[in-house]
Amino acid sequence: MFIMRFTERPYVAYTEEDVRGSFRSSVRLTFSNKYFDPAIGADLYNEYLDEYEAAEDAGFDGLMLNEHHNTPTCLGAAMNLEAAILARITKKPKIVLLGNPLPIFDNPLRLAEELAEIDMISRGRLVSGFVRGTGVESWATNTNPVHNRERFEEAHDLIIKTWTTPGPFRWEGKHYHFRVVNPFERPLQQPHPPIWIPGVGSPETLEWSARHHYPYIYLETDPQVTVQMTELYGKAAAEVGYRPGPQNFGYLWRIHVQDTDEKAYEVGKGFLVGNAGVGRVPMPGDFMAPPGYNSREGSKRILEQYKHALKPDALYGGVDAAGWDAVVESNRVVVGSPRTVIRKIREGLEILRPGILGIWTNDGTIAHKDTMRCLELMKQEVLPALREIGDELELPGPFEVAP
Amino acid sequence: MVAHEDRTITVAGARIRYLVGGSGPPLLALHSVEGSLGWLRLYDELARDFTVFAPIHPGFAGSDRPEWLESALDLARFYLWIVQELGLDRATLLGYFFGGWLAAEMAVMAPPLVDRLILIDSAGIKPGAGAIADIFLHGSEGVRDLAFCDRKQVADYDLLFGRKPSAEEREALQINREAAIRYCWKPYMHDPALPHLLPRLRATPTLIVWGREDRIAPLECAEMFRQVIPGAQLSVIERAGHYPFLEQPAAVSAALQAFLEGR
Repeated sequence: MFIMRFTERPYVAYTEEDVRGSFRSSVRLTFSNKYFDPAIGADLYNEYLDEYEAAEDAGFDGLMLNEHHNTPTCLGAAMNLEAAILARITKKPKIVLLGNPLPIFDNPLRLAEELAEIDMISRGRLVSGFVRGTGVESWATNTNPVHNRERFEEAHDLIIKTWTTPGPFRWEGKHYHFRVVNPFERPLQQPHPPIWIPGVGSPETLEWSARHHYPYIYLETDPQVTVQMTELYGKAAAEVGYRPGPQNFGYLWRIHVQDTDEKAYEVGKGFLVGNAGVGRVPMPGDFMAPPGYNSREGSKRILEQYKHALKPDALYGGVDAAGWDAVVESNRVVVGSPRTVIRKIREGLEILRPGILGIWTNDGTIAHKDTMRCLELMKQEVLPALREIGDELELPGPFEVAP
Repeated sequence: MVAHEDRTITVAGARIRYLVGGSGPPLLALHSVEGSLGWLRLYDELARDFTVFAPIHPGFAGSDRPEWLESALDLARFYLWIVQELGLDRATLLGYFFGGWLAAEMAVMAPPLVDRLILIDSAGIKPGAGAIADIFLHGSEGVRDLAFCDRKQVADYDLLFGRKPSAEEREALQINREAAIRYCWKPYMHDPALPHLLPRLRATPTLIVWGREDRIAPLECAEMFRQVIPGAQLSVIERAGHYPFLEQPAAVSAALQAFLEGR
């Protein structure tokens, strides 16, 4: 099993009232950057890099980063810069980018160049994930949401061709046009760095990933729905002649460990501010998914998939202390002592059977010192136990068995 | 209500629905971003003097979109073909907001086609000082709030906007918003070349109708249209917002009558 560490790198120095005062009361897209203090930002970026270094020391196989725009919930607006720094300051773990939001880039060749540099500087440790981005990424970059999937697929095809076909060549697609495709720097890994696709289960993306043999990383999706989605991936894989295994799937999970259950329960509450923002003010639906961002057919299939799933309020806004109990109870967020956490993760792994486990160790208002303690306990107790469980449950990662 | 029919014509493989009613020379009425509002009272008035053709734009709920059709300019060019297939050699063009933009583009592409041009709170030109409200960012609820000077003035408000939509209507709303976003996203609601081409309409009698309180397309745009279209008349409707023909139907008909009678 491949185990990677993740945090969204949040900024939390603002109030619920500040968010409510923004256009359409949204923490993303329109929440004014006048509430951002670069002095705090300077500390945070450095702390977050320290944490990733500590994650290498803790023995994680991968350091996972993500990218969002116009939001305090994730400071990774230029994720590839953080990745480039990690490429230089770490030595062993993979640098897992989940992912670059392809549709928002008007020049995917620049992306091909950046990723090639990261791959070379890290001496071949890049995992290059690609995403469609949330709707907010489209709004923030003024990318027409109705073209999101077309641009995703075309930019992907262009980047892969750029990495695998000697240039120069010409590209005249629907959304991208280049007379001379010939970035001189090529990635170290051949034919190109591994591609992983994270998501919340859009059926078209699942099927597309399966057809390309790309591992699909579930972003803390409902466990029962995840099992159904894995079947969907399996069907699409069968159509192109292979049977996927654990190496084709990843699961990202919020997991926070402290010395005692009580302490983890208290500290873990900080997760509630992660990706929903301070005050957990519900986002306008059309900011996250503007009209046309999902195909109508795809939207229907997503609704159908999720119709029996629990809707944990805690993950989507409006939670109070009672909500936190329900979340902890349901294991959608795992908090506890090493012993508790290992037991709960094992239960999840038995059902989900991923070859890639993403551990979202901290977010929201969880303090840096608590995160550092969490990483220490991961090193001493949790990761060694998880490796044994991964072997026992036969969950090979994509570097053990080719997806 | 004047009798009208619901017909379909196939152009370039796309099935285009349109309402047609009345008698007299043809008038093509072009709807806005919310899609077809059906047979408007405004069309009843016009149908006394014209055969009114009210198509549903390709890509909006009811009409197909040929897959190559991606922009307002594509749509205007395609409409010239649709008009040809409808057998219209010449027509009066009337459009509100997005429909006005399309009408203006068609007019500058093919001036001999256009008998008269009627633009109501039209998109198409970027204002200088103000801005066309970002209807996409405001969301449908927000747009509803911006659209009217006083919605109580709209006799058909509940019928047009107030009812809880059925499942089918909800899907239509989604299709319409998607189409509007496809065609109008960037540059937003305007064509930078349009103001430079509109002076071509020196032989096209043009009426510009505008709600003084329009908070979506500012009155400044009306003045800009008037300045670039030679001889264009401007009629500003008091106590009306973005849909003056819904809020002040009598004042709008008076302006139309005066224009059509050449007064």
